[in-house]
Formats: sequence, structure tokens, C-alpha cells
Amino acid sequence: MTAHAAHRMWIRVLPALLALAATGCTFADEEPAVHVGADAAVPTAGPDAASADVQVTVSDVRSSIEPGTLPTVAALPVHGRRGPDGLPFEVAQRTRDAGAAPARKFGARTLTIGMRTRAPDLTQYPCTACHNRAAVVRDADRPADAHRDIPTVHPSAAGGGCRTCHARADVGMLGLQDGDRVTMDHAYRLCAQCHFRQVDEWAAGGHGKRLDGWQGRRVVMGCTDCHDPHAPALQPRVPFRAPSLEPAGRNR
Amino acid sequence: MSTERELQFEDLLRNVAAQEMPPDRRVDRRTALRVLFGGLAAGTQAAAACSPLSAATEEERERKQLEWRELIKRHYRLMTDEERADTIERLERLAKLRTGVDVTIQTTPAQPGVQFGYAFNISRCKGFRSCVEACINENNLDRASDTQYIRIFEMEDGVMDLDHADATFQHDVPAEGHFYLGTQCFQCANPPCVKVCPVGATWQEPDGITVVDYDWCIGCRYCMAACPYWARRFNWRAPEVPTEEVNPNQHYLGNRARKKGVVEKCTFCVHRTREGRLPACAEACPTGARVFGNLLDPDSEIRWVLANKRVFRLKEDLQTEPRFWYFSD
Repeated sequence: MTAHAAHRMWIRVLPALLALAATGCTFADEEPAVHVGADAAVPTAGPDAASADVQVTVSDVRSSIEPGTLPTVAALPVHGRRGPDGLPFEVAQRTRDAGAAPARKFGARTLTIGMRTRAPDLTQYPCTACHNRAAVVRDADRPADAHRDIPTVHPSAAGGGCRTCHARADVGMLGLQDGDRVTMDHAYRLCAQCHFRQVDEWAAGGHGKRLDGWQGRRVVMGCTDCHDPHAPALQPRVPFRAPSLEPAGRNR
Repeated sequence: MSTERELQFEDLLRNVAAQEMPPDRRVDRRTALRVLFGGLAAGTQAAAACSPLSAATEEERERKQLEWRELIKRHYRLMTDEERADTIERLERLAKLRTGVDVTIQTTPAQPGVQFGYAFNISRCKGFRSCVEACINENNLDRASDTQYIRIFEMEDGVMDLDHADATFQHDVPAEGHFYLGTQCFQCANPPCVKVCPVGATWQEPDGITVVDYDWCIGCRYCMAACPYWARRFNWRAPEVPTEEVNPNQHYLGNRARKKGVVEKCTFCVHRTREGRLPACAEACPTGARVFGNLLDPDSEIRWVLANKRVFRLKEDLQTEPRFWYFSD
């Protein structure tokens, strides 16, 4: 191989190698090309040599955003689960005021970003309004439709009933199999009793939806923000308008 | 006895012989054009001001002047900070004069230690196209020709053939026996579109995003031919966005107003992601099929997906190294 040819080969190979290093992709069990500990320095990759001498740590990058840049959501620390970083993360809180699915502004338009829009008129909430003693309902307040609007897809399929999930003594809470009680915001602990694989992935970031930003604190939506616990399958709906493509370019 | 003038002439001859102008007299093409056009613009303005028949209002004259000045600015990457500030001021003023909207155009640079990556869960996407809707609104995409950066393909279960996928489905989704695969610009680490640009109007930023300087693009569309993923869009006409729908939060390299005859593309919402926010598509996705993050952070969600899921990229054999992976549950 002549020196010229060798030079040409390197010109071809080098970008791919750099790209490989930059994207941190790995083959089989090899160590990642850019693998750094939580606080180790990250070499800046990319074509801009000007920033190559800047040493930045991963935690710098994670937290280096102006406070208030991201929209805030009410969130609670997640119990008993860790994110992919081994660090705690938060689950979006579902309050009665923010009963509807969260909405965000895109340009001038505000869009709903979750699967479920919780009815803003949760007339029978809180549960203790009627269920004021263990398993006792005040007959005078019993609404005509009681809970007949609640689908029973999931309990029927799973062979359970109301009490499988709702605590017997305190219906405002969810009852776990080990006797623990959790509020509705921590429903993931209840779901994890059977759907442990999904909840593991949810904690790591492979399932579910992160809110707000890729940087800063990690807030994710809870299980019931997308899945109706009584009928968890997502329902079909009409999509946003199709692109107007000429027949020849329909797949472009 | 040689006069001072003759001495100067000799000096000039020597310089010509050396094929080099003295540094203080060296004039590049751009400066020459600037002087020429600047004079022309001033002349036009003077003529307009003198002419009693001129119907041009003060605002029209200002707009014309700004447009002249915009024509002769430098490439974005060669601009000094002052030049950037000047062009931002002009562009913001032009947006106000043209549409009446007060826009803010950022020049936020890439964050050090960040390489963006994207993962798309083909088992979670249900084809709702919420991402498309958010993208159109966020990026001021042309409503007249219905420009969309994102395509969602409806694919038959068990078949991985984009040639026979349908991007124009318009029925209740998800459809039985189908899955959905979204494409957009993959921000390749080895981007063919950048290589073919004859004028350097498109390049890869340090955080991995490939951007376009809309004021440098000559509209040759070589990049569109080079992109194996059909990720780029061309403005056959000046894009139209209703005044009340304009997103005023803009970036020079992102969603600012484009013009007729230039190419544009997805920038992973550069104006959002450089501030730590998610791209509009990822934020809008109702099912959480879209995972976005920093590839250099070993503990990010995107890295977890790459390490723990079976992932693939489109047309990997082309070695374009997309920063966009697909995975399934």
C-alpha cells in the first residue's frame, strides 16, 4: 500500500472510529469507548476542536441548567426503586386540581401529552366521603350509579376484585399483598407485584414517559397516568392528519 | 527626482509583482461586495428619499435596508460574536416588520460533554402522530405545503420492509396486526448530507446535531439526494405560518423563519434541547415511545436502552452512524 493510499484509508476509517467513540456504541461485551464513572471527566467529542479542552463531569452536565428553565410538575420521590443511575427519581403527582393529563405548549398550541385525560369532575373523590368506615357505605349518600361506570376488564381478566387492590380498611389507599398501604400516587408499587418486568423497565427508562427535560431532575409519569387501572389497554383513536405526499413519494 | 506619488506607484508595482496586496489594502470578495451593495443600498435609499413619488413607507425602507444587509453577511460559523448579535438584531427586527411577531432568536451553543441520542420504541408507538403535530407547531413548519419532518410508517407485523409501509394511513390507530415506526433526521455521526454540500451551508455541531445555515444554503438539494433517510425538506415556496401560530422562541440554526429555495431539517429541537428540555416530539409522545438523552452520560436513560435492549438502526450498512436507534419491549 502506498503512503497515499494509506492516507486515504485513514481518511475513510477515522470518521467512523470517531463516530463510534462519540456515540459510545459497543460491540458485544467490549467496554464502551466513552465510559466514565458518575463523576469522571467526559472528553468532549465532536468536530468542534475549540471545546475539546473543556473538561466537564457527567454530574455537571446533568444539573447544569438554569433553574426555572423547565416547567415544573408536582412530583414525589419514588419508593423502593432506583433509576438507571442508582439515584432516586420522582413520580409525577396526581392531584385533584391537576386531574387532567399534563399539557405542554408547542409553539403557540397547547397539547395534552399523556394517554389519559382524567375526568376533571371526580365527583366521588375522595373515597372516604362515602366509605367513611371500613367497608361501610352511607346509604343516604349512595349515588344512583355507584361505581357502575368503572370498567372491570382488568379485575375480571386477573381473577380479582375491588379488594385485590383497594385496601379493605381504608379504601382511599391501595393495599399491597405484604400488608403495606400506599397512596394512589405510588400505584407502581401495587402494579409491580405482578408486572415487575414492566416496572423494572419503567424505573430504568425503557418504559413510561419522562416529563420536562433530559437534563435536571428526572420526573416520570406513573403507571396509571397512561393505563386505566381498571382497563389498562390503550384505546384506539384517530391519528393526527397524514402527510400530503404525492403518490410517487408516499413513503418519503 | 521622484515625487511622493511616484514612490507610491513603485510600491504598488512591487506589490503587484509579488502578487500580494499590503495587508491593510487586501480586500476579499465579500468585503468588496459589501461595499458595493452598501453603496447601492445607500444610493437606493437616497433616491427613494429624494423622490416625491415614492410610496415606500419608513418601515418598507427599513425592511429593504435590513434585507440588503442580510444578503451580504458572513457564514454563521465565521461570524464574530458582534456579527452574530448584529444579525440576530436584524432578523428579529425583520420578523417584526414582516409578520408583526416579536420573536427571540437564540444562538445558544452546544453544551460541552453532550452528545444527543434518540431511541424509538417500535412496540410502544401506536401511530397517533402527536409527535408530528407538536413538531409542526414547535418548528414553524410551512402550513401551505404541509411540511412534516417526522414520518410514521404503518408496518405489517413481522415484516421489516419500509418500501411497503404506509406513511399516509388515516384510520383509527393502532390497527390490528400492525406496528409503527417513526423516522426523522437521525443526526448521523457520519452525515452524507454534510459531505456533499458544495457551500458548507450544513454541518455537524459538537453535540451531534446537523444544522443548516438557511442564509448560506443555495438550494442545490444535493443534501436531499445524499440523505439515505429522506430526512430533509425543501422550500419550493416561502413557508407560510399563520401569525398567531408562530413560535417566537427560535434558534438561528433551528426553527427561525426559512425562506424560499432553502433546505431545512429536524434539529432535535435545538432551541429546546440545548436548554435541557426534551425535543417536542419526545415531550408530546403520549405513549412514551421516545427516549432522548445524553449519550456521554453512562447513566442516562438512552444509554440504559442501548445497553439493555435489542436495538437496530436503519441502513446500518451505509455506515452513516445514525444517533437514532429503534428498540422493542
